[in-house]
Amino acid sequence: MTALLEVSGLRTSFKLESGGEFAAVDGISFSVEAGRTLGIVGESGCGKSVTSLSIMGLLPKGQGRIAAGSIRFEGRDLATLTPAEMRALRGNRMAMIFQEPMTSLNPAFTIGDQLIEGIRCHRDLSHADARAHAIEMLRRVRIPSPERRIDEYPHKLSGGMRQRVMIAMALSCEPRLLIADEPTTALDVTIQAQVLDLMRTLREETGTAIILITHDLGVIAELADEVVVMYSGLIVERANVERLFALPQHPYTIGLLGSIPQLHLVQDRLNAIEGQVPTPMTEIQGCRFAPRCPFAADRCLQAAPPLVDLGDGHSAACWRAPLEADAEIELVA
Amino acid sequence: MSALLRVENLVKHFPIRRHLFGRQTAVVHAVDGLNFELDAGDTMALVGESGCGKSTVGRLVLRLLDATAGKVWFDGEDLMTLAPERMRARRRELQMIFQDPYSSLNPRMTVEQTLAEPLALHGLARGRERERAAELLNLVGLAPQYLQRYPHEFSGGQRQRIGIARALAVEPRLIVCDEPVSALDVSIQAQVVNLLQDLQRRLGLAYVFIAHDLAVVKHIATHVAVMYLGQIVEYADKRSLFAAPRHPYTQALLSAIPIAEPGLKREQILLQGDVPNPIDPPSGCRFRTRCPYARERCAQEVPELRAIEGHSVACHYWQEIMAPQGVVERVVVNERLVRLQSAFRGG
Repeated sequence: MTALLEVSGLRTSFKLESGGEFAAVDGISFSVEAGRTLGIVGESGCGKSVTSLSIMGLLPKGQGRIAAGSIRFEGRDLATLTPAEMRALRGNRMAMIFQEPMTSLNPAFTIGDQLIEGIRCHRDLSHADARAHAIEMLRRVRIPSPERRIDEYPHKLSGGMRQRVMIAMALSCEPRLLIADEPTTALDVTIQAQVLDLMRTLREETGTAIILITHDLGVIAELADEVVVMYSGLIVERANVERLFALPQHPYTIGLLGSIPQLHLVQDRLNAIEGQVPTPMTEIQGCRFAPRCPFAADRCLQAAPPLVDLGDGHSAACWRAPLEADAEIELVA
Repeated sequence: MSALLRVENLVKHFPIRRHLFGRQTAVVHAVDGLNFELDAGDTMALVGESGCGKSTVGRLVLRLLDATAGKVWFDGEDLMTLAPERMRARRRELQMIFQDPYSSLNPRMTVEQTLAEPLALHGLARGRERERAAELLNLVGLAPQYLQRYPHEFSGGQRQRIGIARALAVEPRLIVCDEPVSALDVSIQAQVVNLLQDLQRRLGLAYVFIAHDLAVVKHIATHVAVMYLGQIVEYADKRSLFAAPRHPYTQALLSAIPIAEPGLKREQILLQGDVPNPIDPPSGCRFRTRCPYARERCAQEVPELRAIEGHSVACHYWQEIMAPQGVVERVVVNERLVRLQSAFRGG
């Protein structure tokens, strides 16, 4: 079976003011099967959002470009599509929800206008039918009294409601792939729980594949089937969700899991990862995590480790993987 | 022993006026009758969702905002009625760390100027300002060669360290930390949380820690007050709050936090709807519109915050509500992981 989405060797570059270019995403490959949820986790500047914009064809014109690699969606190479073909796909076969429900709705139009426009763009429906469909979508995302709400402007809705409207909009044409970029980060925790629950239910009902982009490992654990961990433009580890949390192999993943305060664990002190996240512009020879890695050996400073298959669909980009519990900390001069 | 900080019936209402000089048309009930105490060396966490009034409390305690009513006792003096001059002197002992490390530093001042300014204001370390500034940087884990740099040359985590150094410059006894780590990346958050804990131990600081992230709070606090629409609904020492949350809101809040363990089975309490508007809070118990256990009486009578064995809860029916499983803590889940993680602590 071919995957719904297949990204291989994707490299996305941005222009620098000085005239050069830097790669925000530097050669990543992954695939998403129909109906599955892939979590992409990483900190700011790791390239997770650039990955999603690359897939959606939404890179800022004249600044960002796909410099290498391919993205195949339902068997078609997206790079070969005309802008019109891409538009027909976007919002239809694949859709996206963003972090900021405040800024991703147009304040000058009612939510109904915006929903109906999206539906009629892709479906041959009369205005009345599209409106009925929009109301039905609002009901499905559990907006109370949708017949009334549909004529309201975005500022009348709370943050959680706006994010539901965004989800309704994204799902209105039954996409095969939904990209959710930090969908709950701007929301309060009880509202986050509502939205996550909603995404879970809708996934079961529609069979939509989801790419869930987040910095929150808790959200990943609740929703993802497979996980990709990104650091500084690269995939450093990939595994199914149980395995990633139980047997992480890349030191960055291990460090990240130790640095979050967890409700259900007794933690005396957090294991902070010292140092700073490198900017994508930083030139680093060798492994990009090596400067912060307690396991780094000489080799790590010289050559970048490739993403190596460790079996059971688990791979890690680390010269020292698989790491045993008693891994020696080598002192790097 | 009396507490370092004691807040009594603190109230803050923000008037709403239709026009600039118009009549007051309504009132936002930001903080409505708050009481708590904090000892030196302890951390009192104020938690709750946006609009619950937690940040307003922090600003009231430092008198950056004037309270509508109530008292804030700091070391035996009521800050609310203190003369301006005396208050200025007192401010040395009360400092604040802000959420946004990007907007809370002056972009035109070097780190040295940023750190020397509070020293000059309070006449401290005269003649040895540079030395003291270097000391402060060292205290927060930054090298002294950064003294001549400007804020834009630092990352978010480093800026937050500078913000902490600035607060420490005047040797305060109490620091109000307003969401100090929520704008930082996960791996950097841990660095700052550890730093705050180390400083507390070394300097005996008291923190009022304002946060929405209960996992961070569980890690850093000694006491927790859960706020909802301007009021405390539950107040207890940390252990007791997390082991046996009694207010339905606390229970829902705890159960809503995603836990980084796939396949973990637990009961989730999903609250319906959104937080009501603080301009017109619900009658009786303010939480009743979202409470799964609400009854007739909850709409009529305001539940008082009552103490039961050091654990206070504002709910008419807390005794009848089945205590859900609190957070079951485990010491070690994954030995391999714990051992590998310990490498990050350094030798």
